[in-house]
Amino acid sequence: MRNPLWKRLPRELKSDFGKYIVIFLFMTLTIGFVSGFLVADDSMLAAYDESFEKYNIEHGNFTLSSEASESTIKKIEEKGDVRLCKNFYRDESVDTDLDGTENGTIRIYQDRTDMDLVCLMKGEMPQAKNEIAIDRMYADNNSLTVGDKIKVGGEELSITGLIALSDYSCLFSNNSDMMFDAVKFGVAIMTEEGADQFGTTHLEYRYSWQYANEPKDDIEAKNMSEDFIDILVKYAKVTEVIPGYANQAIHFTGDDMGSDKAMMEVLLYILIVIIAFVFAVTINNTIAKEASVIGTLRASGYSRGELLRHYISLPIIVTVIAALLGNVLGYTVFKGMCAAMYYGSYSLPTYETRWNADAFILTTVIPVVLMLVINLLLISRKLQLSPLKFLRHDLSTSRRKKAVRLPNFKFFSRFRLRIILQNKSSYLTLFVGIFFANVLLLFGMMMKPLLDHYQEETVANMLAPYQYILNVPEEPDEDEKFTLMGMIEKLLTPSLKTNEESAEKLCLESVKNVVPGKDGETITVYGIEDDSDYVSTELPTDGVLISDGYSEKYKVKSGDTILLKESYGNEEYELTVRGIYQYPGALAVFMPVDSFRKTFGKSEDYFNGYFSQEKITDLDEDLIAATITEDDLTKISRQLDVSMGEMFQLINVFSVILFALLIYLLTKLIIEKNATAISMVKILGYQNREIMSLYLTSTTWVVVISILLSLVLSTWTIHGIYSYLMSSFSGWLTLYLEPKVYPEMFAMGMGAYILVAVLQFRRIRKIPMDVALKNVE
Amino acid sequence: MFLEIKGLKKGFGSGDSRTEVLRGIDFSVEKGEFCVLLGPSGSGKSTLLNIIGGIDEPDEGYISINGEKTGDMKEKALTLYRRKHLGYVFQMYNLIPNLNVKENIEVGAYLSNKALDIDELLHTLGLYEHRHKLPNQLSGGQQQRTAIGRAIVKNPDILLCDEPTGALDYNTSKEILKLIEQVNQKYGNTIIMVTHNDAIKNMADRVVKLRDGQIRRNYLNESKVSADDLDW
Repeated sequence: MRNPLWKRLPRELKSDFGKYIVIFLFMTLTIGFVSGFLVADDSMLAAYDESFEKYNIEHGNFTLSSEASESTIKKIEEKGDVRLCKNFYRDESVDTDLDGTENGTIRIYQDRTDMDLVCLMKGEMPQAKNEIAIDRMYADNNSLTVGDKIKVGGEELSITGLIALSDYSCLFSNNSDMMFDAVKFGVAIMTEEGADQFGTTHLEYRYSWQYANEPKDDIEAKNMSEDFIDILVKYAKVTEVIPGYANQAIHFTGDDMGSDKAMMEVLLYILIVIIAFVFAVTINNTIAKEASVIGTLRASGYSRGELLRHYISLPIIVTVIAALLGNVLGYTVFKGMCAAMYYGSYSLPTYETRWNADAFILTTVIPVVLMLVINLLLISRKLQLSPLKFLRHDLSTSRRKKAVRLPNFKFFSRFRLRIILQNKSSYLTLFVGIFFANVLLLFGMMMKPLLDHYQEETVANMLAPYQYILNVPEEPDEDEKFTLMGMIEKLLTPSLKTNEESAEKLCLESVKNVVPGKDGETITVYGIEDDSDYVSTELPTDGVLISDGYSEKYKVKSGDTILLKESYGNEEYELTVRGIYQYPGALAVFMPVDSFRKTFGKSEDYFNGYFSQEKITDLDEDLIAATITEDDLTKISRQLDVSMGEMFQLINVFSVILFALLIYLLTKLIIEKNATAISMVKILGYQNREIMSLYLTSTTWVVVISILLSLVLSTWTIHGIYSYLMSSFSGWLTLYLEPKVYPEMFAMGMGAYILVAVLQFRRIRKIPMDVALKNVE
Repeated sequence: MFLEIKGLKKGFGSGDSRTEVLRGIDFSVEKGEFCVLLGPSGSGKSTLLNIIGGIDEPDEGYISINGEKTGDMKEKALTLYRRKHLGYVFQMYNLIPNLNVKENIEVGAYLSNKALDIDELLHTLGLYEHRHKLPNQLSGGQQQRTAIGRAIVKNPDILLCDEPTGALDYNTSKEILKLIEQVNQKYGNTIIMVTHNDAIKNMADRVVKLRDGQIRRNYLNESKVSADDLDW
């Protein structure tokens, strides 16, 4: 015979439909979203991983100052045991809306047939000189599609296709950039004839390489690339080397997708744990309500196990159905949404949905197990009591304590305190839920102001409106200096001088910091002239200043020693930090120009850049390696806003729903628990308003205190986890919590509570007076 | 001897506040006997019933059913003992509110592999017409009948009744007593009923009178009357 107690379950479900349906919907949607996310993440990650082979992605690339001869290429290939492939490009300014103003840069490659192949996602590849195929995401971000016209380097071109370049899944224009920029930077393919029309002014001689034997992992890749670079620099004048493993344009996507996955899983499990606690608290309440029935059943021979299985079956059934339905929704509805989020950030090739057994386990088995374990632990503790205790309604698991003595407050205050003490487990669950919701809410709400603040601070603390990085021609060797050839070479070398009055020379070097157990990150070292107009502080002669971001990210303070290393070499530099300089734009080190020249072994008059208030117009364009303006420094906040803006909104909505849901469930529980008492005080003549003041005011106290306390705790939590959250980015965004976020969060929390309180007031009003008079059964 | 109770002692509390509820109880009950435990409030009769039912433990002494001592049993074995041998009826009916009459009885039937026919039992209980009703749609007497049904459906060796008429009016109480008598006769269960109602002793085979935790009288009722003829 099937246990007849099973027949209660559908009735229990029906009688408490409100509670079960909100929990069910919340879990289904959360699991659905996470499942969709994991499926999209896994499918796209698989497509991304496969793309290395499918599109024959390079193992690294380098840029030369001029085109390498056939013999040089051959030598490099032989000595380095690699295969090289020409991958020349030109960065040209672009006018996407044809309004006459340039609004970004497009990097033009020629069609690839060997390495880094192209995935055509829509339309056709260009055939004619005035045709171009552009990156799909860049097109989306600039509202462009096949058939539209854009102006590139002054030439009007027709878009024939939308593509994804396999070596640009993430649109980093510069590998040392803190963040990619898919709004103002795009990649494109043109025919050879089409690309040639832009001349050689912006032509970069980039070569991609592949090893004969593919490295097995990043460590091997690192060792192989170091060996290769040693060989490479012997045969050619290298301006940039980007080993594949360190190429953000290729690897950022994969790394980010991996870290997103872990974060989503953690979020799901925390939510399931909170819901499991809500279930456990409500079941404990039901057990208290049904104590005499349980006592009778236990006295009649029902075992603890049978009753335990009975009481936890509904939470488990609800979780199982929510998990299964959530997975169906994940594969159908949410997968597309999540894939669209990735397509909104990354330039990924097309993908096929893959059945993801891991995701299924993570979103069904683990939530069910969590639900089971938490409920088993909490409920079995309650059911340990003897049948007699149940029959006597003596359900305290600990030894009976004396009633807590309260101070001589007014009657209503003491009454409310009693309610708080009676429901302390519900209120504790509520507090944990509010805290978690507020951590999420604070994260969702802090990001936009944080990015705006970063942008403002960066602009306010810019070293100069224009920073020019120059391609400094090689000095002739000492012994050639006074030969005829040496003098001719010197005469023919274009001048680095400018007549721009506001220009100030600077020295700049990109190095890596040495962090034990991690890859170093790019650090910009500035050599600043004495009495500089642009760095307004006294620079120490016995050490350096570091930017505030460097100090915060690597926890370096004045007096510490930092170790830096040549980007493409083994030279190391040990520097003593003498202070922090307010410069949020980059991780940077500042030292006097003389110290710089000495540290990096440069000549006395060496410089390789300018600070300037105005655009410098009298320098040969070929000499300018890069110009850093406000746009470049604020790229990160712009891109994060584009990629994550909607996500932040989603987090806010989700947090408020979680918040309201928990308050609804737990206040409902408290009112149900006290239904007889409420009915009794009605009989005594209390008005609904007074009853509400007794039973809801205590909840209001708890909610207000929980919100206020959790604002403090969530701030600490965000401070604690911020470094981890930022670890996938190069550089540093200063943590800034805008003060006005707090009153907003408080208002949102209280708004949700007031809504729930209105519903609960109706519930109190509906409790009839005969509840207290009738037999409880 | 079917049920033997020997040297049973039980107290609550410690030190000065210790109260001895049972001070050495000895008696036995034969199979199929209807035994009434009679006594005023605080005489220890409910505690004695709870110890017989295996939901409370004595400080000293033992209970033996068919030669099996309950004191030797661990928690699991005690549950099994209750499941196999005992049926319980309380003053408060303790029915499951969202199961109907028949289903509440099925809750008892589930525990036994020699359960009685439920429909037949419903007729015996006079509840057949009400079998689809929920407890809150029944009168007190009907609820108690359902509780008795739940207890006897598994055809227990012993039916323990703790003041089964305590919450009922005169007529309904008599109905319930008649039903218990009928059950005893029809199914041959041993019945131990706790009551403070002196009149009920007249329908019992054996009467055990308790006061202050001790047996004042233990005798076989030679002039047993039908529940119908009881009056108080």
